[in-house]
Amino acid sequence: MSNSKLYKGSLTTIILKLLNEHDKMYGYEITQKVKALTKGELKITEGALYPALHKLEAEGLLDVEVAKVDNRLRKYYKLTETGTKETVNKLEELAEYIKTMQALMNPKLA
Amino acid sequence: MKLTKEEIQFIDNYLIKNEVKYWDVRLELLDHIVSAVEDKMTNDGISFNEALLDVHRGFGNQFIEFGVPKDKIFEKGLYQSNAGFKKFTRQKQKELGRKYRKIIWKHLKVNFSTFKFWLEYLSVILIFIMLYQFKPESCFLIGLLILILPNMYSAYYSLKDKSTRKSLSFAMATSSAMAVWSIYNLSFYILKENYEDVVNMPHIFFVIVTCLFYPMIRTNIEVYQKVYEENKKTFNLKLL
Repeated sequence: MSNSKLYKGSLTTIILKLLNEHDKMYGYEITQKVKALTKGELKITEGALYPALHKLEAEGLLDVEVAKVDNRLRKYYKLTETGTKETVNKLEELAEYIKTMQALMNPKLA
Repeated sequence: MKLTKEEIQFIDNYLIKNEVKYWDVRLELLDHIVSAVEDKMTNDGISFNEALLDVHRGFGNQFIEFGVPKDKIFEKGLYQSNAGFKKFTRQKQKELGRKYRKIIWKHLKVNFSTFKFWLEYLSVILIFIMLYQFKPESCFLIGLLILILPNMYSAYYSLKDKSTRKSLSFAMATSSAMAVWSIYNLSFYILKENYEDVVNMPHIFFVIVTCLFYPMIRTNIEVYQKVYEENKKTFNLKLL
């Protein structure tokens, strides 16, 4: 993951949020989606994305599905039931973090 | 721009040459690399070679161009370092190990909660006690046979279904069982150093170790079966 170390801690939440909005996604698609949504501001590197995806899969938050696409196999990731519940928790946690940071950085707005 | 079948095959071979030997790791890398190369060729207007070299570096495989003739950059660049791919495999291995350890513990708990399993376990203990009474020197060999059961099971599957070969998930599914029997084997060799004759060895040691590890070995076979069924469902192995 490039740009800033600050984003690193939120990588799992970003992945879960994207998968919550889409039925299923493959690795490269996730990197491109993040790039497009943040207008190139945030670039997830392969070295950060896949360990995070494999970790979430190992924890049982993601399920995989394989399909044949253009002469190759593609591995899609989708949320499991536990994954959907965890997304809600993670998003709440992130919102709380943003609120706290806001209070610290800009007390007038908080 | 879509890559041709030949270009995709070239990338697959390039991954094999870079020691990405497990097909279940290569499958994901291949799709990512092909998608990224297609994207770069379409949006950045660069050639296949330039795009592939770019993606290769993106995975953390460093390339020092210094001293390399310009016409050899592509050829040398792709195979100078595979550190990024090695790291990718290592991290996946770590997560799979964690996943299977979790599944093994879960199955162990379930097994210990059933009467059938207790009956089976107590029978094994009883057989070993009898064996120790009548033929103590055979305890090591019988114990070893039991402890390598998961490996024999995986060997049978690799003969039955080639997709279980060179697969990281299958390799990791038997890794804990492998560790058990190597410890057992190692202890035999240590004892061999101290006892002149196999007959004089403390055979009760083998009885205790085998009986202690039996539930784990038994669970490992179940987990291997589960991994096989899961992979069959996920990868629809006919596609491979």
